[in-house]
Amino acid sequence: MIARLEGRLIDIVLWGSLAAILIFFYIPIFTLIAFSFQEGRFLTLPFEGISLRWYGELFRNANALNALWNSTLIAVITTVIATAIGTMAAIAAVRYRFRGSDAFRLLAGVPLAFPQLLLGIVLLLWFSVLGRMLDFSTGITTAIIGHIVYITPFAMVIVAVQVYNFDATVEDAARDCGASSFEVYRYVTIPLLWPGIFSAAIFAFLLSWGNFYLTYSLAGSTRTLPTFIFSGIAIGSSPLYPAIATVIFIPGILLVILANRLRRT
Amino acid sequence: MADEVPRSWRDPDLLIKALPTVLLQTTCFLAPLVMTFLLTFQRSRNFQLQWSWDLWTWTDVFSKPHYWTILGHTIFMAAACVAICLIIAFPIAYGLATRFKAWENEIKVLITFAFITDATLKIYGWALFLDKNGMANYTLSSIGLPPEMVAFLYTDWATLLGMVYSLSAFAIFTLYLSISNIDRSLILAAYDAGAGKFRAHWEVTLPLCKPGIWAGSVLIFLLSVGAFLEPKVLGGGKSPMSAELIRQTFETRVNWPLGAALTLVLMVVSVFIVLLFSRLIGLKRAGLAA
Amino acid sequence: MTAILDIQDVRKSYGSYAALKGVSLSVNQGEFIALVGPSGCGKTTLLKQIAGFEEPDTGRIAIADADMAGVPAAKRPTSMVFQKLALFPHMTVAENIGFPLKLRRTDTAEIKKRVGQMIELMQLKGEYLTRYPRQLSGGEQQRVALARSMVSAPKLLLLDEPLSALDVKLKKVLQAELKRLHRSVGVTFVHVTHDLEEAMMLADRICVMRDGAILQLGTPADIYYRPAGSFVSGFIGETNLLPITVTERTSAGLFYRAADIVDADGRIAADLIAGNVAKGPALLMLRPELLRVLSPGDVADGEIAAEVTEMFGKGGTVQYRARTPGGQMLVVEIPGTSSLPMRIGDKVRLGFTKKDIYVFGAEA
Repeated sequence: MIARLEGRLIDIVLWGSLAAILIFFYIPIFTLIAFSFQEGRFLTLPFEGISLRWYGELFRNANALNALWNSTLIAVITTVIATAIGTMAAIAAVRYRFRGSDAFRLLAGVPLAFPQLLLGIVLLLWFSVLGRMLDFSTGITTAIIGHIVYITPFAMVIVAVQVYNFDATVEDAARDCGASSFEVYRYVTIPLLWPGIFSAAIFAFLLSWGNFYLTYSLAGSTRTLPTFIFSGIAIGSSPLYPAIATVIFIPGILLVILANRLRRT
Repeated sequence: MADEVPRSWRDPDLLIKALPTVLLQTTCFLAPLVMTFLLTFQRSRNFQLQWSWDLWTWTDVFSKPHYWTILGHTIFMAAACVAICLIIAFPIAYGLATRFKAWENEIKVLITFAFITDATLKIYGWALFLDKNGMANYTLSSIGLPPEMVAFLYTDWATLLGMVYSLSAFAIFTLYLSISNIDRSLILAAYDAGAGKFRAHWEVTLPLCKPGIWAGSVLIFLLSVGAFLEPKVLGGGKSPMSAELIRQTFETRVNWPLGAALTLVLMVVSVFIVLLFSRLIGLKRAGLAA
Repeated sequence: MTAILDIQDVRKSYGSYAALKGVSLSVNQGEFIALVGPSGCGKTTLLKQIAGFEEPDTGRIAIADADMAGVPAAKRPTSMVFQKLALFPHMTVAENIGFPLKLRRTDTAEIKKRVGQMIELMQLKGEYLTRYPRQLSGGEQQRVALARSMVSAPKLLLLDEPLSALDVKLKKVLQAELKRLHRSVGVTFVHVTHDLEEAMMLADRICVMRDGAILQLGTPADIYYRPAGSFVSGFIGETNLLPITVTERTSAGLFYRAADIVDADGRIAADLIAGNVAKGPALLMLRPELLRVLSPGDVADGEIAAEVTEMFGKGGTVQYRARTPGGQMLVVEIPGTSSLPMRIGDKVRLGFTKKDIYVFGAEA
C-alpha cells in the first residue's frame, strides 16, 4: 500500500518536474515567437495587433539579409570541416591504441569544457597578433576557424558514441570477403557510422548557425544573425529582432527532429 | 574492439585520422593559449601593445582587489548554478532513464532543441519575458497582483536564472547517461532488502551515478565561470562577472596584456577548484575503501 | 595427400606478450582440423595469421604451396566465419552473401545464381533473401554467415568459434550441419573452439594448444585415449590420474608400483606409454567409463579398492565418486540401470583392463 503510494508520488514528482522544465525551457522561445507577431513598434504588452509586418521588414532589411547569408555560409563550411575532422578523430580516439592516445583524447575534447567567450578572446588575440605579422584582419575566415575549433569536439563525441557501438569485426569480415581498405570504408564503415555522422553534422550546423560568442569575437565587422540580434538588444529594439530569432529557430527544430528520427532507425 | 598492439604514428591510417585534429587544436587552441600566457608579460600603453617582458601586468592584477572581488562573485555564481542545475536535472534524467520510455525520444528532442538554440536568442527572450512591460509582469498585473512582484530583471537572480537555463541541459544529459547505465537489478535488490523506493534511490541510484554528477558539475562549472551574456543582458551589468570584466578590458580599455592575465587567472582558478574538489571526492572514496 | 596449409615455426608477440611461441602445423586438402585450447592459448591468434589479419613476426605460412607473407586478408584464398558472425547489419541476406562476389566484380545475374545456390546448400528459405540479419534467428544468422564465407569458393574455411554463443540444442544442430557441409563441399576446414567435445565430434584431427604452443596433434581417439599429458587428458570430460612410480623403463614397456593399485605383473606395454615417461614418478590415466565394479569372484587386469562417497544420476549413466584407502578420489561412470550396483558407503573393488590405460609423465 505504502509502496504503491510512493510509486504514485514518484510519478507525480517526475512528470511534474518534466512539465516544469519544459515550460522553463520554452518560455523565452515562445516569448520571442509571440513578440515577432506584434503589430506595433515596441516590444511591450499588450499587443497592438497581430501581423506579419516584421517578417516583411526583415526581408527588406539588407543588413538582416546579409547576416542571414553570412550565418549560412559560416555554418555550412564549419559543418563540412568539423564533421569530417570530428569523425576521423572519433575513430582514432575510440578504436586506435597509440602512443599518446590519452593526450590525444584530452586535446581533442578539451575545447568542450572551455567557455566560448574566453575561447573567442584567446583566438582573437592569436589572430590579431598573427594578423599584424602576416597582414590580415579578422573576418569571416577567422570566424569559421573559431567555429571549427569549438564544434569539432562536439562532432567527435557524437560520432564516438556510434563508433563505440560499432563492432569492428564486420570490417575484418569485409576485408576477408576481399574488400580493399577503400572498399571497407565505402561499403561498411561509412554506412554503419552514418547515423552518427549525420547527427554530428546537424549538431555542427546548429551550433555554428546560432553561435554568438565566437562570431562576436572573431568575425571582425562581419555580422551574422546572432550578432545582429545582439546589436539589436543593445539599442532599444523593435519586433524585427524577435522575427529574426524565430527565423533562426526554424532550421533548428527541423534538423533536430530529423536527426532523432534517423538515429532511431 | 580497440587495437591489440599500439599503432605507430607512422601508420597512415592513424595519421589521416588523428593529424587534422592534432594540427587544428595545437595551432588554434594550444598555441593561442601559450601566446595568451606570453602576452601577460607585456604592457599596454596608450592603447598599444608594448613588448616589454616584465611582470608589470601581473603586479597590477595582484594589487587590485577589485578584480578578485569580481572573481569571487563569479565563482560563487558558478557554484550556485551547478547546484541548481543538478537539483532540477535529477528528476528529469531519472524519469528519462526509467519512466518516460514511451515519450523518451520526443522529450529528448524538445530538450535538445532548447539546449542547442543559441544563447543570445534565449537570453533575449528572457529579457523580453522579464521586462517591466513584459509577459511576466503583464500576467501578474492582469490577475490583480502588484507588478513589482517581479522586479526581477537586472538582479543577480535573473543572471543565475539565465545561467541555469543555458547550462542545465548538460546536467540532464550526463545524469541521464549514467542513470541508464545502472543495472536495474541493483535497485530491485535494494527493494528486496526492504528499502522503500526513496530510500533505494538514495542508497543505490545516487551513489552509482556519481560519475555523471561529477562530469555534469565540472562541465557546468567551467562553462558558467565564462558566462557573459547572462550578467550583461539579464543582470544589467550591475554586478559584473569575470567574463564581462575581461571583455571590457579588451574592448573598452584595449589592454591586451591585462585581459590576457585576467583570462588566465579565471581559467587557472576554476581548473584549480575542479581539481581540488576531485581530490576531495577521491579522498573520501579512498576513506570508504579503507 | 597434399598439404593445403603449411605453417612453419610461426611466432607472434604483442609487446612483451608472446602469443605464439613457434607453431608448426600441416593441414591436408579436404581435412577438418580443430584448434582447441583454453582462452589465451593462441588458437585465435594462429587463425588471424592464417586469415591474414595479422602478419607473424617470424615463420612461414603457405596456402596451396604459395607463401602468404605480405598477402593481405582480402587477397588470400581463405574465408572466415567470425565468432560474432560479423554479418553486415545494413545489408540484406542476399547482399551479405553476395558481397564477396560483388567485390570481385562478378555480374549481377551470376551473383544472383550463386547466392541462390548457397541459400539452398545452407537450407535457408528463399524468402529470407530480402530480410536483414537482425530479423533472423541465431541459427539462421549462422547459416547466412557460413553461406557468405563459402560463396567465393575458398580453399580454406576458417571458423573462429562460430558456435560458442548458441544454446546447447542449436549448437548440436549446427554441429551436424557443419559436418554435412564439410562432407558435401570438400573444402578444408580449420575450426577454432575451446570446446574439446565439439572438436571430437567434428574434426578429423585435433590440435590442442596451450600458452602459444601445440601440446598435441592427433585424431580424436588419440586425444581422448592417448593424451600427451594431464592437461590434455583433463581438457575433456573427467578423468582419473593415479600417481605411479616407474621402477623400470625399457623399449618394450615399463614396470611400475602404485599404492592403491593391485596389479599382478605390474607391467605396461610400450604402446600405452607416452614419449615423456622415464624412470620415476608418472601418471596413469583411467577414463571413468573404463572402470567397472567387480562382483565377488570377478577378476580384472588391475584392481583398486575404494569406498563410494557420492553418486550422481546423469540420465543415461550414473557417476560415482569413490575414495581409495590412500586418499585418492576416483570417478567411475557406468551405464544407468534401474537397480544400482553401488550405494554411498559401500566398499567396492574397481577393475580395469590393461589395454584401456595410458601412462604419461607427471609434469605436463
